[in-house]
Amino acid sequence: MADADEDTTRSPATGAEQIETDLSDETQDFRLLNHLNFLTDTSNSSLPRRGEKDFEPNPTEFQADVLSASRQAMHNALSYPRIHAPKNQVVAFYSPDGPIPPPAHPVREPLEAVDEYRKTSNSEPKTNPSRVSEKGVGVSAEACVCVPSPKGTYFKSMGQADRWNRIWLLPEEALYMLERGSLDIRWPQELTGSVDELSIPMSLQAAYTCFIGRGGLTLERFSVYTGLKRLGYALIRGPGWDDQVDEASNAQDRALQLNPTQRGPGLGGIFSRLFEWIHDPLSTASTTTGPVVGCGIHRSYADVYRKLAIIPWYDPVTPQPNLEPSAPFRVVYHIYKPSTSYKKTAPPPPDFRIAVLSTREQSTLPTLTQLSALLHSTPLVPPHGEKMNRMMYMRLRHGYRNVILAIVDQGVVSYLRVGDAAFGKEKLFENVKPVAGTKRSGFSKKSKGS
Amino acid sequence: MAPNPAPPEPSALTQLISSASASNHPIAATTLQILHNLQYQHLWTSLQTHDIPIPLKSTTDTPPMSLISGIPPHRVYTHPDEQLYMLEKGLRDDDLRPERLFVIPTAQGQSWSVHRIAAVFDSLPEIPSSDHTESSMADVDAETQAKLTEYYTKKEAARATREWGGKRILLAMVDKGMGGDGTVAYYVVHDGEVKPRQN
Amino acid sequence: MDSDPPLPIPISYISNRYLLFSIDAVTYLRREHHICGVLIGTLPQIPQQNVFLGLPLELMPEEARLLVDKGVACIVDEAKAHAGMRSLLEGDRARYLRDLESQGQHAMRLQSDRKEQKREEALKKLDEKKAARARNSPSASAQTESSAAIVDIFNSERSNGNTSRDTSTSTASSRMGITPATSYPPLPPPSSTLHLPPPSVPASYPLFAHLHARGYFLSPGLRFGCNYMAYPGDSLRFHAHFLVVSYDWDEEIDLMDVVAGGRLGTGVKKGFLLGGAEKSKQEVENEADRVDSVRAFSIEWAGM
Repeated sequence: MADADEDTTRSPATGAEQIETDLSDETQDFRLLNHLNFLTDTSNSSLPRRGEKDFEPNPTEFQADVLSASRQAMHNALSYPRIHAPKNQVVAFYSPDGPIPPPAHPVREPLEAVDEYRKTSNSEPKTNPSRVSEKGVGVSAEACVCVPSPKGTYFKSMGQADRWNRIWLLPEEALYMLERGSLDIRWPQELTGSVDELSIPMSLQAAYTCFIGRGGLTLERFSVYTGLKRLGYALIRGPGWDDQVDEASNAQDRALQLNPTQRGPGLGGIFSRLFEWIHDPLSTASTTTGPVVGCGIHRSYADVYRKLAIIPWYDPVTPQPNLEPSAPFRVVYHIYKPSTSYKKTAPPPPDFRIAVLSTREQSTLPTLTQLSALLHSTPLVPPHGEKMNRMMYMRLRHGYRNVILAIVDQGVVSYLRVGDAAFGKEKLFENVKPVAGTKRSGFSKKSKGS
Repeated sequence: MAPNPAPPEPSALTQLISSASASNHPIAATTLQILHNLQYQHLWTSLQTHDIPIPLKSTTDTPPMSLISGIPPHRVYTHPDEQLYMLEKGLRDDDLRPERLFVIPTAQGQSWSVHRIAAVFDSLPEIPSSDHTESSMADVDAETQAKLTEYYTKKEAARATREWGGKRILLAMVDKGMGGDGTVAYYVVHDGEVKPRQN
Repeated sequence: MDSDPPLPIPISYISNRYLLFSIDAVTYLRREHHICGVLIGTLPQIPQQNVFLGLPLELMPEEARLLVDKGVACIVDEAKAHAGMRSLLEGDRARYLRDLESQGQHAMRLQSDRKEQKREEALKKLDEKKAARARNSPSASAQTESSAAIVDIFNSERSNGNTSRDTSTSTASSRMGITPATSYPPLPPPSSTLHLPPPSVPASYPLFAHLHARGYFLSPGLRFGCNYMAYPGDSLRFHAHFLVVSYDWDEEIDLMDVVAGGRLGTGVKKGFLLGGAEKSKQEVENEADRVDSVRAFSIEWAGM
């Protein structure tokens, strides 16, 4: 009596099944947590098997008891406190006005020097075009939480060090760490009037209040950030974070993208067209007066099909007019898989680029223009590799550019990958597959592809 | 170049539609096509059409809508609770009298609205009660007969409480895209929230 | 669990969204008002997964509106409320810090007691097993306690895998730091000057409220491409019955959408439900009157 899509259980052994059923799709029965040994066995990494759900309520006491137990388990799980053992406690302070120097060091640079600083500063990663601090601390002006004595592994992928070796965190980084119980953020003393040791810790509620909505961090963007961080990805802000357009970095990106491979009808294309013309002198026949393929001598089906290809098609590698991606169809995060060795000071090219949409603000599909602009803000990544060369559908699925859309509906996130497929480039008639109708299996002998 | 072949003979359905007297309106053609489909593909019997007035403030020149009703050879829909009841009583679909069912003929591309669906349900003709008795089960044993009597009593009660669902209708949609391939898709539409079947 | 929070429950309005941070409020609203929301936060006890999530709970504007209209909740402008951190009374601040400190000490004591107890149990088990020449590993002792583990909220052994010997050496500081879930206290309960008007809701609200009034639990429907999922009971324990799509009374419904919804629903053993309110906003004095005029229709593939 249960749903096929909901009922497959998750076992660590079967990767294929995990793709089919994402446990996070559905409200989980928190009683499962009771069986999780996470408190005593830290090496435990496998998830519990899901419980059976019922089709509809019935008046049995058994069902009422089970529901009550589920709610109690949920209540308990959500009551779990965020505590910091003295040994591991990392204390930070909230800096509402952005990065500031330590109390002992006065502001060094006058405000007028900021523009100059921004121009000369090459250390700032290109992917993070946000302004540099206006107070001469040397970190992003969007950072608002300072960790004076950083320790632990989290700062390998998060935060920016200033010249006093303090780590500054962006709002999403700080909130993520506080929420997972790894950071004890304090209210600034000037706000609450307390001193050092006795500063008031920020509650989860206070952290959401202060950090969501700050510097472009919407709740949807944070949900995507934290959802991927929980799975082990590293994320940094992308070029589309600020809604206002950053012309320079986009142009630079595009210049890099267009160079690598110029495909399409190159020299080979010209030659083949020349040969066609020689073989088929009567090809001048127009479609208004005769058959589309002309009345000439046709030596192969390929020639005929080529003639039939009268509908223009889109080639992703040809340069496109400059399109400026418009919010919300902009790349807001660069994402690195857990397996990618990521260095925060010199981030490698990202594994994924992602745009974040809220269903309540964007209730329609993107227009072709919006989607094209978004795709063209990402680099050209043509399909390559032995497998891609062999398998056409994999090539089509991979596309020439790709981007991920994270669609957030009131806290529920769905991820869609959009690839710029080049169907026109796949000349099916050139495939030397066994002719249909022969008894030999078409799968046993793989063609070498085009 | 081969000479133009003679156009193929129109299909029986096309002939039916073009010869029927009511065919001067496209809606009527849809109705006719679905009637035909119900009669010959799904083997319904006692088919008839009902014109119902659909009062709509937005469109004034809408012709009266045609509904179809008929008796399917097998039950098309059984409410989950009704099914459970039958299971407990040991009754099979075949034991029950066939039921007349209403069908809304529609075509792909037609515009509908909540308003229109509500209007159809509100103007749904009552099923004539003669339908319930017209085919009496002569060849069942006394035990089954008793069960059936009990079942029909329960069904009458359930109709009032809507515990086996409220009014329902079959929505038939003709595929007219790309010239149409004659496919008719059927959906059960219930008035109100009726829990889904689980099989 | 059964301690009911005082009403009206404050719903945090933060950056255009509606959030709950109090576990008592979350449990109460779920149990008494069938409002589930969506958990979006990281659980500190198992932070590296997305299956079980924790506070805060995000409410749809529809959910927040329904609660406000029922008089159960109010909307609090959290940014304004937290400006109150600047004006905490010295006495309140000191008392709050003292409370935190004693809680931290309590947590510390609980943890070391627990570890001590666990070590003893493990040793005992080990001895027993040795005596019985059992070949099982002593780690089995941990298994027996698993069911009670979550209830003992202060038993936090962090990922560093401290051994029990460490505790005796790390008592230099005798208390745990605590990050509380909410800011009340130290902030006083939000005064009515911080309350905001009821949330504005999308056109689908009447259908939402209609289904809620009929006992359905509703959640966002993105996963199935609809407005809402409707559950016959708490979604903790029941599968959804309907994929819900709302239309305006005279809004055009493409029959293809009905077919697509009907097939999608049938494919996942759910019904497809569409509906809307007969009365428009102009015709009624308040949303509640529109809710009474909702008509809804369930659609399933006929299988013929």
